[in-house]
Amino acid sequence: MRPLPFSVLLFAACAALAGCSREVTHRQVAEFIDRADDAARKRFAPEICELRAKNFTIDVTSYAEGEREPSELKMTRKLYCQQAGSFSRLRQYKLERKSIDIDMASDRRTATVTAEYVETMPFYEWNPATPDDFVRFQVVESTDVSVVGLEDGDVRFLSTRTEAHQTLVSKNQISLPYN
Amino acid sequence: MKALAGPAMLLILFGGYAIIRMTSGDKTPSRDFTDLELASDDAEHSGTCYALGTVLVANGMFGNAVRTWSSPEKGNKKKWLLTLERVIDGRHGPEQEFQKFTFEQVGEQVRLTSVDASEGVPTDVTANIDRMLHAPHGLGSTPVDRCAKPGATGYQFPPK
Repeated sequence: MRPLPFSVLLFAACAALAGCSREVTHRQVAEFIDRADDAARKRFAPEICELRAKNFTIDVTSYAEGEREPSELKMTRKLYCQQAGSFSRLRQYKLERKSIDIDMASDRRTATVTAEYVETMPFYEWNPATPDDFVRFQVVESTDVSVVGLEDGDVRFLSTRTEAHQTLVSKNQISLPYN
Repeated sequence: MKALAGPAMLLILFGGYAIIRMTSGDKTPSRDFTDLELASDDAEHSGTCYALGTVLVANGMFGNAVRTWSSPEKGNKKKWLLTLERVIDGRHGPEQEFQKFTFEQVGEQVRLTSVDASEGVPTDVTANIDRMLHAPHGLGSTPVDRCAKPGATGYQFPPK
């Protein structure tokens, strides 16, 4: 039997790879969210940023304690990554995931992930002299709705919509280790 | 047929490279553009005596704002849009603030032709140029060659 020309084999291999890499599995998405949460717990901006697609956008609606009207914030990946950089200054931080729901798209190219979180961190009301220079912790309960999909073969956040509610708690009411 | 496999591969590779080159384009203005003297917004568009690059560097490229250069007209390397974004403490919590400056080359100068910004941020071109000039004036930045000579003048130059 005459062997197939190299160019035909190359084309077939490329087509097969392209076809496979377009779909995500439920397990891939679940592992990806675990990885993203771990990156947030480490407050390591490069890793947090790496998990966002090139055209990633985030829409944040946040309700500060005592405010009836929310603030609306839309960030591009670039601005989000810059903000993630300032995250590393925190010495006390806790992230708990309360729930997660993964809804796979019918073409399995993307998934919509709805997750509820509670974050606890210092609330700096002035420019702090030290990381301990605060009187209240902020507890932020949020619901994130993210679209996750593949970019260059890797799972990435394509977009996120967050609604966050802030509660302020006296520093001596919460024990949060330094890490 | 087998002899064609090599050339076919090369064609695919170079074809892909050419497509990437054609679609990517420059992401920032060239030195030729940023070395041009920034013009004022007066009737004569008097030169400010500072190159655009000098003004941007003196302003610390606008502090901690996220900066993005883009070309508003594809292929036109004489017109650039500088977008600055930052997160500020708004009335009800964090808010995004932006400023968009359009710079355009006219002859041997670069003009700030328009400013777009979030609500509450000045968009007047003259006011923005005046504000941009505070930093090079304060730092005593190096002027363009034209203004390095004794007695040379420009818009708000020499600074008082």
